[in-house]
Amino acid sequence: MTNRRSGHVLLGINVLVLGYLPAAWKTPLLKKDSFIDPQYWANLGRTAERGTLDALFLADGPLLGDPAYDANPIRLEPTVNWGQVAAATSRVGLVATASSTFNDPFELAERLLSWDHQTGGRAAWNVVTTRGAPAARNFGMPEIPFRDDRYERATEFVDVVRALWESAATGRDIHHHGPFFDIEGRLRVPPSKQGRPVIFQAGGSPQGRALAGRVAEGVFAAELTKDQAIEHYRLVKGFARDNGRSPDDIKILPGLLLSLGSTEEEARRRSDEIHDAGPAAYSIAWLSQAIGYDASRLELDEPFPEDVLGPIKDTQTFLGSIGFRESILAQIRRTNPTVREYLKQTRYTGSGHAGFVGTPEQLADHIEDWFHAGAVDGFNLQPDRLIDGLAVIVDELVPILRKRGLYRHEYETETLREHFQAASPTPAF
Amino acid sequence: MTAPYLALGLAGPHLVELTANRALLSRWDELPVAFSVLGIDRVDGSEPAPLTLTSSAVGATLAGTTKYGRFLITATPQRDHPYNIARRVASLAHLSNGRSGLLIGVRDAYAPEGPEGAAAWGGAGLAGGAPLDAQTAYDAARAVRALELSWPYDSIIGNRDTGILVESNRIVHVDIDNRFSIAGPLNTPEPATGASVIAWYSATAQDGPPRGADDPIELVLGAAGPVPLVALGKEPPASETAGVVLRAGLEHSVGDLLDAAERWLANGFAPISAGGSLRAALNLSAPAPLPPTARAAFPVPQPHVSL
Repeated sequence: MTNRRSGHVLLGINVLVLGYLPAAWKTPLLKKDSFIDPQYWANLGRTAERGTLDALFLADGPLLGDPAYDANPIRLEPTVNWGQVAAATSRVGLVATASSTFNDPFELAERLLSWDHQTGGRAAWNVVTTRGAPAARNFGMPEIPFRDDRYERATEFVDVVRALWESAATGRDIHHHGPFFDIEGRLRVPPSKQGRPVIFQAGGSPQGRALAGRVAEGVFAAELTKDQAIEHYRLVKGFARDNGRSPDDIKILPGLLLSLGSTEEEARRRSDEIHDAGPAAYSIAWLSQAIGYDASRLELDEPFPEDVLGPIKDTQTFLGSIGFRESILAQIRRTNPTVREYLKQTRYTGSGHAGFVGTPEQLADHIEDWFHAGAVDGFNLQPDRLIDGLAVIVDELVPILRKRGLYRHEYETETLREHFQAASPTPAF
Repeated sequence: MTAPYLALGLAGPHLVELTANRALLSRWDELPVAFSVLGIDRVDGSEPAPLTLTSSAVGATLAGTTKYGRFLITATPQRDHPYNIARRVASLAHLSNGRSGLLIGVRDAYAPEGPEGAAAWGGAGLAGGAPLDAQTAYDAARAVRALELSWPYDSIIGNRDTGILVESNRIVHVDIDNRFSIAGPLNTPEPATGASVIAWYSATAQDGPPRGADDPIELVLGAAGPVPLVALGKEPPASETAGVVLRAGLEHSVGDLLDAAERWLANGFAPISAGGSLRAALNLSAPAPLPPTARAAFPVPQPHVSL
């Protein structure tokens, strides 16, 4: 344990539609189409605000995965989705993912700033470059551009968007001429109450971390171990410093997959029940995509063969997340499980993102430990099922964190940027 | 002679004013007009006003803060792609319980054009782009309609016994190949109230929608159509029309527009009862489903087994 930090942690919720587990929809607490019900979404926002949470986060991609067994691939457009939730809330920050590959920077800049205005300065843009051919084929392209090309475009894209946001405040046209974009013009949207929308970056590829160090103010990281998290925390904060920024200008919030119960046994039972209600093929397909290997060809009761655990053959064409793959393979090498054991183990330890199964008290211990160790500025919590999991965070976890001086009792700031600035400063490293 | 319905046309500054004022929102919500166009100045050939907001962002606010008012968002393919437009249109329809629709425009007054010859979507820096003309806007509207139909709402079954949430084999690719090439399907189901109403703006008879197979345009606004625009301060048209869009100028406030609308409603315009979907309010039938030959996007789901 390093020196104890002052100030409070940041708490976000990664709203994976109904929850991160595929069978979340099966609870009688939900209607068959709750994922498109405005009441469902407004209630999520109000519940988060009851717990003075910092932000709600929404992933996105312009494509549809098979929704046969799972609401997770279903995507309402995030600025519209969070725009409706903003109307039902007043303080919680709202993070919308949008692709720099499949948008026009002028249109997206105007849309994000308009949405930020409507939220009263609570908006953040999570910049992603989007993977996979199905998305490309919705935009007249046979294949997704290579990773380096996507990040090169993303870098210029973000610069154009930020310049356009600035133009709304100055009233002056921008004159941008770069390899990807030629734009002369300005936005006529009212300037942002928080200066400009907060920028998030998600993912752990070298290109993603470099982009984060340059422009991101929030990072949605994937970390399985505390040591790895400390290393990446220092790495990304260091990138920010290399870019002439303060390490405090960038907040790091790893994802944490959650199943909570009033006892550890109850939490495990809940996790098992929701896992068992979902299809096995789904876990195998997820693993295949995550490690870039067809896991259905693996013997379920044998350990992973060595060739699966080797380095990635082509990072440019690999469709998964490099950060996720890295953390998954590190975990497999450490425990050498059979494929079936690994898939079951991820119920408790997470898969790509770290997992946590236990009581709110134990979760508070975990958050406190990682926070004081200088591994995180907060967490992006991912409940197994939101309809009853979010209330446990708000009504049981948050009061424990407050008692320990790790979280505020009331909102003390208005905009998302102010929420971030009010959080604990970066410890010395 | 059937009394015409009344609709409202709001320009950029009105969007800022309306959504910042709870009292105005409440008045707007209770007015028995057919619909409001959010940012009509974006697509009607006007010069850009000093202030505006993206129409879908305003629609999202209205979806969350009001219960009855119906609206058309405005969008064009100038710097926007039909897949992205369709996502916002369908999402708004869900979150507003069908009170929303789309007015597709050819040009966006607030946005710079893309490169010559590909001024529509060509500025996005991806391969492609199309001429900035009526055919491109029309093809964008066709894509939006097909995408909204690509995932039938009633395929959501939520069968807890079989573990099947969606009969996803009924979701289809749209395989559009016109000015845009789009495989689909959309990642949002069809709205429960049916695919969104799509409108067109024509200032003159020459700039009507091109019309073709699978025509998605169900409503034409403007001088050349059955629902003309009348500037606030002018008299209603003497000839018979299905409806009138009362359009506020930049010199008018939203309060001025609502005052005038109340006077017109008290003086011969047909009130359209508040609430319900835009499609029902305009008495428009549901669009035909996509042809049964459309390519299934996913295999037939099977009852699943646990690990």
